[in-house]
Amino acid sequence: MIGGRRSLQGRKPGDKRVRVERPHAPYFRYTGPGQLTAKEAASIPTTPGAKLAHKIRGVVLGRPLASEAEAGERLSKVKALAIFSSDAISSSAYATEEILRAFVLAGAAMAAFTFAIPVSIAIAMLLGVVAFSYRQVCIAYPNGGGSYSVSKANLGRIASLVAASALLIDYNLTVAVSTSSAVEQIVSALPALAPVAVIIGVSVIALMTIANLRGLREAGNIFAVPTYLFLFSAFLMIGLGVFRIVVLGESRIPEEALGAVEDTTQVVGILVLLRAFSSGAVALTGTEAIATGVPAFKPPESRNAATTLMVMAVVLGVLFVGITFLAVNFGAVPPEHPGDKTVIAQVATVVFGADSIGFYLFQAFTALLLFLAANTSFNAFPRLGAVLAIDGFFPRQFSFRGDRLAFSSGIIALGVVAASLVVIFQGSTHALIPLYAVGVFIDFTIAQTGMVRHWWRAQSPGWRGRLAINAVGGIATGIVAIVVTTIKFRDGAYLVLLLIPVLVAIMLFIRREYDDLEGELHVRDDLIAEGPHREQRVVIPVNGINRAVIQAVNFGRTMSPDIRAVYVTENPEEGDILRGRWERQVPGVPLVIVESPYRAVIAPLLAYLDVLDQAWPPDKEAPITIVVLPEFVPRHWWERALYNQTAKRLKAAILGREHTVVADVPYRREH
Amino acid sequence: MPDTDTPTYRRAVIALNGGSSDERIVRLVVALGTKDVELIAVHVVEIDWTLPLDADIAGRSEEVQQVLDTAEGIAEQRKMRMEPVLLQARDVGAAIVDEATERDADLLVVGLPYRKRFGGEFAIGRTVPYILQNAPCAVWVVREPMSEEPS
Repeated sequence: MIGGRRSLQGRKPGDKRVRVERPHAPYFRYTGPGQLTAKEAASIPTTPGAKLAHKIRGVVLGRPLASEAEAGERLSKVKALAIFSSDAISSSAYATEEILRAFVLAGAAMAAFTFAIPVSIAIAMLLGVVAFSYRQVCIAYPNGGGSYSVSKANLGRIASLVAASALLIDYNLTVAVSTSSAVEQIVSALPALAPVAVIIGVSVIALMTIANLRGLREAGNIFAVPTYLFLFSAFLMIGLGVFRIVVLGESRIPEEALGAVEDTTQVVGILVLLRAFSSGAVALTGTEAIATGVPAFKPPESRNAATTLMVMAVVLGVLFVGITFLAVNFGAVPPEHPGDKTVIAQVATVVFGADSIGFYLFQAFTALLLFLAANTSFNAFPRLGAVLAIDGFFPRQFSFRGDRLAFSSGIIALGVVAASLVVIFQGSTHALIPLYAVGVFIDFTIAQTGMVRHWWRAQSPGWRGRLAINAVGGIATGIVAIVVTTIKFRDGAYLVLLLIPVLVAIMLFIRREYDDLEGELHVRDDLIAEGPHREQRVVIPVNGINRAVIQAVNFGRTMSPDIRAVYVTENPEEGDILRGRWERQVPGVPLVIVESPYRAVIAPLLAYLDVLDQAWPPDKEAPITIVVLPEFVPRHWWERALYNQTAKRLKAAILGREHTVVADVPYRREH
Repeated sequence: MPDTDTPTYRRAVIALNGGSSDERIVRLVVALGTKDVELIAVHVVEIDWTLPLDADIAGRSEEVQQVLDTAEGIAEQRKMRMEPVLLQARDVGAAIVDEATERDADLLVVGLPYRKRFGGEFAIGRTVPYILQNAPCAVWVVREPMSEEPS
């Protein structure tokens, strides 16, 4: 083979052909004139250490996927209901418990028998208002109307960043709360696992993080199954329970509670009712998910999303009120200690029987749904992070897709923060809830206010009615946001109120940094980049005469005739010997010897560069100083400790110096 | 070639001429093949007698490289492996037949543009008749529709 071409003889004597080698082929594909597309092989590292890391990453996270491999599957209503509603529906597993706990903590346990169901009905009505309001979002924003995009379009930067901050907090809390609650359901069925509940929670979050880094998609049937299994078993439980209470009269409400209805009204007081309402309002979390995911629906996207949202609201409302009805009538009490049965587990125990297969299956389905709900945030949080990064409010790496097309930075950040929350709050759903509902209602309020502005601006047919619906939704959720924040302030809501402005400030700071840099780097459209107009000079720090130095000097000679080598030494005699050799062996390149009686190397060299700058004629534009560093390329990892240490320090010292460029000239050892 | 409803082959050479028929024949072969089929895309750059046969011509041309890369991309979309081969020769037909022979191909696919000589009779050119006469394996000739080439 000569020059990448190999001559081949054909069947007939005159039929010769030449096979032309194509060196680009393993790594690139030409897709147009001057345009190459990298193949997978081009992304594989070349150094042994990086290759090993790449292999390990391949085993853990899977092989890299090309951008074109991204699935664009559209969801049917049945599938979308399961996938987008898991977060909302799963909150029915702990919302009732939070209502009952509010009464118990207020010392009004008996009042729970009277007021828990009306409180749950009030929350279900609020859910109806919110669902109707978000139905409008589905129609107005077919490209997905998260509270961030709605407020960005209608309310301006600060409001949208408040919404984004609240969403970011919510997504973290969704993972922490859902995982903690799922573990609590598992512990309810298997109390022996109580001591390792936190470890289970953190492990599950770690697994979810890895699965999502591998490019786990929500669209698969596997994600629809747990939701429907839970719905089927929960409705079965409610049906059987209601039958036993209403038809068979198996209610376990104590006599004294029934007799004390009138008294309790006076005793309980509005504050306890509001506390119960605020606690139970957590049932509404996740309601906005469908409005955010409108583009994932099959056409007509908006109508299908709106229908699915309403079905989800009805299902969640019936579940929530139904479970509360059963919990009250079966005398369920919130667990006091880790390992105690959750309220929903107590209800399942009564309906299906303790230690029955039905009970264990129900607990398994509930836990599965809660894990699935946690996983929804692993899709939503990185997507929001990417949108914020594209808008310049988040570090840019949040918008980069990893090997498996997942927004890796966002997934890792969510995994770390959510796992930390589980550890800090010891996997207690109850302890996490006060932080949760605040952000959700702030989001609802901002989104609905944005929608009011949207209809007012658009004034499209029927806008008055639509504006009214969103206005009612905005006012209702706004009031609830104030109530929840006030009531839960000491329990942890203050943390969210502190965190939101901090996050907004950080995002504004990031945006200002990016804007400043962009302004500085901006090139006018009318500017034509001509050749360089500044002079260049080359400075080569040397440690003697060797092949690496000669190579660096030859490289320096190609860049400027203004070239000099600098030798810093503490021994003048060594300098004299080197000068003799240098003048003989490297003619035309002056050698500057800097004596350093204090044995420093870097500082005298920097001082020399400063002196060179000062000596430059003040009426001329400052030149670019190119510091050429001869470097050895280590053959083994351990050689890195032996070579280039001074060069590394010098590079670090010069980095950022005005008008200075550092050029490494690597010398590869052959033996 | 077995006498079945679906034609099967284990190693097919696809002769690409850099024209509009390339994509058509690659998609056809890929669609009819199975994943264990070996596909070899061959593009021959004809070198006239004023230049040495091993002159640095084809390797330097991005357009020539793109002919093979596009074909390879289509095969990869269907998860099929394709070996692209770039040749320089005095005679395109002979180079294609020799490559197919050397690789023991059992199918050779070639596209045929619809052209008319001076606006008159259909012109089949030299390459396709040579291949039909000399190829040791089955040959598919895929002629373009009349409307795609100006007469």
